[in-house]
Amino acid sequence: MYKSLERARAMVAWSLSTLLLLSVSAAHAEKFAGIGRKATTNEIAAWDIDVRPDFQGLPRGSGSVAQGEKIWVAKCASCHGEFAESPSVFPPLVGGTTKADIERGRVAGLSAASENSKTTIMKLATVSTLFDYIRRAMPFDAPKSLKVDEVYAVTAFILNLADLVPADYVLNEKNIAEVQRRLPNRDGNTIAHGMLDLRGKLDVSGKDCMRDCPVDTNAMLLLPSTVNGLNGNLADQNRPYGSIRGIETRRNP
Amino acid sequence: MPAPENFIPDTLLEDISNHGLDVSRRDFLRKSFAAASATLASGAALAAPDHPAADGDMAILQPSAQATRLGHPVAHMPYGLPSKHEANLQRRESPGLTRKRESSISFTPLQGLFGIITPSGLHFERHHAGWHDVDPRGHRLMINGLVSTAKVYTMAELMRLPSVSRMHFIECGANSAMDWASPAVPSVQYTHGMLSCCEFTGVPLSLLLEDCGIDKSQAKWVLAEGNDGASLTRSIPIERALDDAIVAWGMNGEMLRPENGYPLRLVVPGLQGVCWVKWLRRLEVGDVPFGTREESTQYLDLMPDGMQRQYTVIQECKSVITSPSGGQRLLDKGFYNITGLAWSGRGKITRVDVSVDAGRNWKTARLESPVLPKCLTRFNLDWEWDGKPYILQSRAVDETGHVQPKIADLRAVRGKRSVYHNNAIQSWQVSAAGEVMNVQIS
Repeated sequence: MYKSLERARAMVAWSLSTLLLLSVSAAHAEKFAGIGRKATTNEIAAWDIDVRPDFQGLPRGSGSVAQGEKIWVAKCASCHGEFAESPSVFPPLVGGTTKADIERGRVAGLSAASENSKTTIMKLATVSTLFDYIRRAMPFDAPKSLKVDEVYAVTAFILNLADLVPADYVLNEKNIAEVQRRLPNRDGNTIAHGMLDLRGKLDVSGKDCMRDCPVDTNAMLLLPSTVNGLNGNLADQNRPYGSIRGIETRRNP
Repeated sequence: MPAPENFIPDTLLEDISNHGLDVSRRDFLRKSFAAASATLASGAALAAPDHPAADGDMAILQPSAQATRLGHPVAHMPYGLPSKHEANLQRRESPGLTRKRESSISFTPLQGLFGIITPSGLHFERHHAGWHDVDPRGHRLMINGLVSTAKVYTMAELMRLPSVSRMHFIECGANSAMDWASPAVPSVQYTHGMLSCCEFTGVPLSLLLEDCGIDKSQAKWVLAEGNDGASLTRSIPIERALDDAIVAWGMNGEMLRPENGYPLRLVVPGLQGVCWVKWLRRLEVGDVPFGTREESTQYLDLMPDGMQRQYTVIQECKSVITSPSGGQRLLDKGFYNITGLAWSGRGKITRVDVSVDAGRNWKTARLESPVLPKCLTRFNLDWEWDGKPYILQSRAVDETGHVQPKIADLRAVRGKRSVYHNNAIQSWQVSAAGEVMNVQIS
């Protein structure tokens, strides 16, 4: 397991610095005596199920597209559709990607020219995310009920629907990284923006003009009348007294 | 219109059923009926009680029921509830957003709230797999990853630690999302209601990470994980985790409400709501972000060139007029207090300007104290409405100098297909009839 290897390396590093840390740890123990205890290995294994994009935390296992399809039909299709394409309950998972996208690592359908709805596979840059989320949160009404091999199988089935693996594919902890390198939007994310760091540079800022500021009221957009009443009667969503009331939005036709 | 029997107070009915009708109770009943009938007869008195009859206001001339009888005893409601007259102000869902109510949103009724604190029962909800009322005796917090000792804490242990209480806003990254392309929803409850502000009490996250011996040379991110069906996870940048983040159990002086993560949630001031993981069960220190679903397929900002901005955690400078606001109607000309809320995920609000002419001319509003970092700030401006049409706007400036942008400024850079981080100036059009409508101005 990647994670235990990682931990073993970390343990070695820690043991080298243990002598230095001991005094510090002792000081901590003194500071909040009787509060908190060491987590056991089993406890960490039970909860630490996250899988990172570098596959730290990935459990060993395997599952085929065919096994995944069986699980899919029984436990997933009612919400997501037979081919993970359905938008009826949740946003669609699969669709909107091309062979050219897989070549390029960027999904053309995400550019401004396209008005297509966005599917999960269009946005996804990491298979780890898919595996991790199915394992921790799916099926919606019975989360964490799938065994690790079943998670591999369902992941493989979705990847097959997205034309990323063939129908006879068996996904496992060794080949999952290869599949990740084929994801159509693997190079589609950026952290080059100002909204991660407090000192980050902003992309959009207003102007604090106070007098005779430029305004174009010709380009005013109105709330369409078709939404009237969709959010219920606004008169019933404001106080029924006072000089400001809610508008009656369920007028009789 | 209330039926006459509604003028008989509950306590009197109870009294009568217990003791029968004696002389004094009989007398009271007679008077109540008389008062009720008089009000019904006059009609207008009920519909417009603010306009007195020629000889005076019935609210003054007529002895009121509550001034002439005994009220409810103490502890009648051991946990108090709002007045029945306030029932219109509730959290509400917006149609068509989601198909599963367990993975959905309810919005705070900002149009009717005062000051800066959101009542606990009106705090907006956003769940990904429904909410539970968790027994705190069985709740645990684990801290693992790049720490010298992975530890487990019980609630009792956490609540013994030195705590802090701080007021902060929480705003969903998708607040105002429905209006990115054009006005889509009618009132401030739906345009801005994924916003709340409470006093949170808990232990600083930095204290817990230190207690476990965080490896500061390698630590770059902290994964926060909830104990709900989604076991919702989100990566928090280490700078924010070690700054003002709180592992909180308290909200507005009591324990968190179940819908808000009882008994334990993460409070990450200034960061989008999804980072404030509820039912917090685990924190893992790592050297890279964890690429969870809520930061890899959701909460991405799609740019016009098709690139997706990832880990856009900070909620930018923003404000909105809450009254008068969309879907409301001014009944009469005359004086009104234009009031609203301003906030910034980068610190304090330093100024809010208000325009009534669609942004041509602005006046600086009065800020109510306290003005706190990463907290809602209440602003007010006197206004006399003369019955003509107006377009009301507010514009906030924060202590970093960031000026709240127009929607056109945002669209020019980020396009129209974005979902998150819409911090645009909100425009409310007041018609000559006094009706207020959600509009957008370039």
